[in-house]
Amino acid sequence: MAARTTVDRLDKPSAYFNSRKKRGGHHHRDRRDEDEDMGRQPEQPAEEDPLRDATTLYVGNLSFYTTEEQVYELFTKCGEIKRLIMGLDRFNKTPCGFCFVEYYTHQDALDCMKYIGGTKLDERIIRTDLDPGFEEGRQYGRGKSGGQVRDEYREDFDEGRGGLGRAIQSEQRLKEVERRDLESDIGRLR
Amino acid sequence: MADYDRGDRFRPGGGGGGGGGGYSKKRRYQRDDDDYDRRGGFKNRRIDSTPPHQRVRRQLLTIAENPIRAWHEEVASIANLFTDNWDDELLRRNFVDLVMQLSLEQPLKTPFLAAVVLVANTNQPEVVDMLLAKLTAGIEAKMAEGEWRDVKLYLKLLACLSSALEGDGIFPVLEELFNRAAELQTASSDDTIGTELVKIILLTLPYIMVTDRTKWAPKAAALMDNTEVLASEPHALQTLIEPYHTEATEENPNPSASLTKLLQTQLQAETVAGWPLSFLPEPWKFPVEELEQQTKLDNASKHALPTITIPSNLPAGPRPLFPDVYFSVYSDQEVESVPSESTAASSLIRDALTDTIGILHFNRNVTARHLVDLDCYFAPRTFAARATPFDRLRDIEPPKSTWKPEDVAVDAVFSQLFQLPTPEHKLVYYHAVLTEACKLAPAAIAPSLGRAIRYLYRNIVRLDLELGNRFLDWFAHHLSNFGFTWKWTEWVDDVALTDLHPQKAFIKGAIDKEIRLSFAQRIKNTLPEPYKNLIDAEMEEEVPEFKFKSDDTPFAAEGREIAILLRKKAADDEIQPIIERIHALALDNNLDPLVASTDVFVTSVLHVGSKSLSHVLAAIERTKDRLTDAGAASDAARSQIISAVMTFWSAHPGVALCIIEKLLNYSILVPSAVINWALVTEAGATRGAALSRAHVYELVFTTVIKVTNRVRQVVRRSGTADDAMVDDADAKDAEVAAMRDLFRAMEDALVSWAEGSKDELVEMEIDDGEGRSEREALIRRWGQQWLRVFRRRAAIEEAFLVEAAKERRMLAEAEAEAGKEVANGS
Repeated sequence: MAARTTVDRLDKPSAYFNSRKKRGGHHHRDRRDEDEDMGRQPEQPAEEDPLRDATTLYVGNLSFYTTEEQVYELFTKCGEIKRLIMGLDRFNKTPCGFCFVEYYTHQDALDCMKYIGGTKLDERIIRTDLDPGFEEGRQYGRGKSGGQVRDEYREDFDEGRGGLGRAIQSEQRLKEVERRDLESDIGRLR
Repeated sequence: MADYDRGDRFRPGGGGGGGGGGYSKKRRYQRDDDDYDRRGGFKNRRIDSTPPHQRVRRQLLTIAENPIRAWHEEVASIANLFTDNWDDELLRRNFVDLVMQLSLEQPLKTPFLAAVVLVANTNQPEVVDMLLAKLTAGIEAKMAEGEWRDVKLYLKLLACLSSALEGDGIFPVLEELFNRAAELQTASSDDTIGTELVKIILLTLPYIMVTDRTKWAPKAAALMDNTEVLASEPHALQTLIEPYHTEATEENPNPSASLTKLLQTQLQAETVAGWPLSFLPEPWKFPVEELEQQTKLDNASKHALPTITIPSNLPAGPRPLFPDVYFSVYSDQEVESVPSESTAASSLIRDALTDTIGILHFNRNVTARHLVDLDCYFAPRTFAARATPFDRLRDIEPPKSTWKPEDVAVDAVFSQLFQLPTPEHKLVYYHAVLTEACKLAPAAIAPSLGRAIRYLYRNIVRLDLELGNRFLDWFAHHLSNFGFTWKWTEWVDDVALTDLHPQKAFIKGAIDKEIRLSFAQRIKNTLPEPYKNLIDAEMEEEVPEFKFKSDDTPFAAEGREIAILLRKKAADDEIQPIIERIHALALDNNLDPLVASTDVFVTSVLHVGSKSLSHVLAAIERTKDRLTDAGAASDAARSQIISAVMTFWSAHPGVALCIIEKLLNYSILVPSAVINWALVTEAGATRGAALSRAHVYELVFTTVIKVTNRVRQVVRRSGTADDAMVDDADAKDAEVAAMRDLFRAMEDALVSWAEGSKDELVEMEIDDGEGRSEREALIRRWGQQWLRVFRRRAAIEEAFLVEAAKERRMLAEAEAEAGKEVANGS
């Protein structure tokens, strides 16, 4: 059977990963959101593919308020979670909108790409990317002020990612999701 | 539409692009060719510069997707592009492979692919021989692998090509398959492959018939006479996989039929009516003004079908074979919004859709696209207009169809999500398909989902408990993707029901699951007033209160001291004196000292780790030895570990379940302790009410699945490895024995609840007179539902062990045979 399917697969690594690999850079993830816009189709994996047996996923675009428990609740739908590492602000050690989810099997990680990547958690569309594995240090944001790089220069206002400054209270969090809720009337059950 | 418009900010996961998903710049680049197409005219030369093999590929991939384009035009244009470039070797080779691959990956398109081949046959007959050679070889290979769905899909392609075949077409193949099925069924009463073969025969037949009804009618009638006996043979486990639960005392008024049995009846009706099959597409038919093309087609050359040799040994294949039970969430409506069970359309459309859903798991966006566009792939006028509101179906005049395409699509997904014993893919895949369909066509799909939800809620009393919980899980997950909005007001009266009522239990379970994916305050704000009381103050607190904070709690001082030591990461011997003090105090108060100290210690660990799951896991990691000793000390102490976790996190059962799973991984707990806690301790203490709580079911179910997965893993390994064979065999036997013990213990515990003979149930008459019998009936019902779920699990696992043993025996025989040959040869 031909290796190429008649429909694209959702369980392939992103252009980000491949572009980083080609440049020989380290697999730091914070800049992926910008890099992703490169209009390149990911190359076929090279001889030694570091993602061949990957059991870890990078998960991005989380709200700063999303908890480990919420991540567990959603991601367990693809298999038991071996380890969860929340991405933290380098300075104040608070969540900064990403995490690493490690499964016991490669298949669970692939299924997660297929079934969970691009769906909502805590009312935000999250993105998943296969990852060669967590290493100490990678749990911290690499932006100047400690969070992810994308939150340094982001021009849009995103309450879920510190858009109102750091001392946001849970009331504001609530306001945020409810505002978003009002805007989106898509697929409402009625 | 805000969310949908935002799609361009989100790149479909994995960056592989998601045909049909949102799109990104990258995708637009890939689409360049199409852009030139659209500009048309002066850019035409640019199209021609695309090599023909790429153009044919692109057009074949998207065949029939455009509802505006007439089928015969599209078919003829692809066929001509292909035969005009016949000298292009790359194109010739790719064409046949692509047609075959598409028939396996996008089966809704098979009739259209066949039509292209048939038109190509009028110019280059050789292409049919090329395809037939590969297709027949492919069918043989797939049979040898036990890939029955692929066998079926290749046969479907072959069937659509019947008009280009000599003699009896593919009937000899079907007859041969039937003979084999009959042999298998005669040889063994619990055979599943024979039944599968009959299903394949019956599903192939209609696709032959639409190519020439009069010519094939006698052959079909003869075959149908043969299949009748086999098709009505019920599967050994049929009653266990019924989607509805019937009380032991009542007859199931309407047992769900297997697909094979239904098909036999439906096709018999078709035989009588002269095979109208008006819903199947016939894209090889040209309109009257294209008489010349039609004549060419009718007179095209016929080809001999290469012999298909059915392998002597037919394996069951990678997926266990269970009968497909027909399931519909739209079966009780005044207007028929989906084909009724009596029509062949119900089975054939469903079959094509479930194949699509099963195959395209690697791109849910495309799956959803096919479902939303399903009317493109069936004959015109098969369905009502898209997004026709249900209330308007009533106004449709008789010859016109009332089948709502989105109902048919949603029904197909639910039939998979609710398949017993286990669907082909993880449940979350079906959740994701429904979410994407809802995003693609919200106005059409959302109301259909709403009606499906109402049906399931109405029928939850009789729905199998496992399915009821799948419904619960999907419902909460789905809402989490759409702003947690649901018309809760329509169930508002049910809030007053007792918690033991299945509908109330559903409401409570759904709210808990919603909170797990979000947070209490958020969910509370989505609920109408009467529901708000179901979310109490404790549920709104993210971190539970430490009960030893209050001096009124026994052992409060000790609890606080232990917590301080744990926080300081003090050595274990600093904790020991406090534990001993608890023992002494407990003895003075006539309490079980081990239970008392376990409760204080575990609760303190939970308190110290209450900030997040990583905190509690770290705390457990540090105190693993003491926890393990506590768990080993006595049955009561072991049970107390679970009680402590469930009590501490009672307002957030999701966290409790997560912790218990980790305790099982650390072997601090064993599965039987968890089962015993739920079915004996907790169920006893709540006089059976625990059985109605969704999270208790979830706890037991995931624990059982953990055990059965483990057994399957060990059994599979012992079938393959040969060096560590002996050790493995012992380990395997031990695991299997432990699993059987577990199921036996569950059976014992549940039977007494199901029969109402449980002491706690009998004692109940003291408190409440009137409500007693109602309560008792509800508890008994829960007991029966539980019993059914876990008896089925046990039976499925036993069936797996039987199959595995069969495979090992066959493997051993094959090896012995090979060994003999080597010995003889040397």
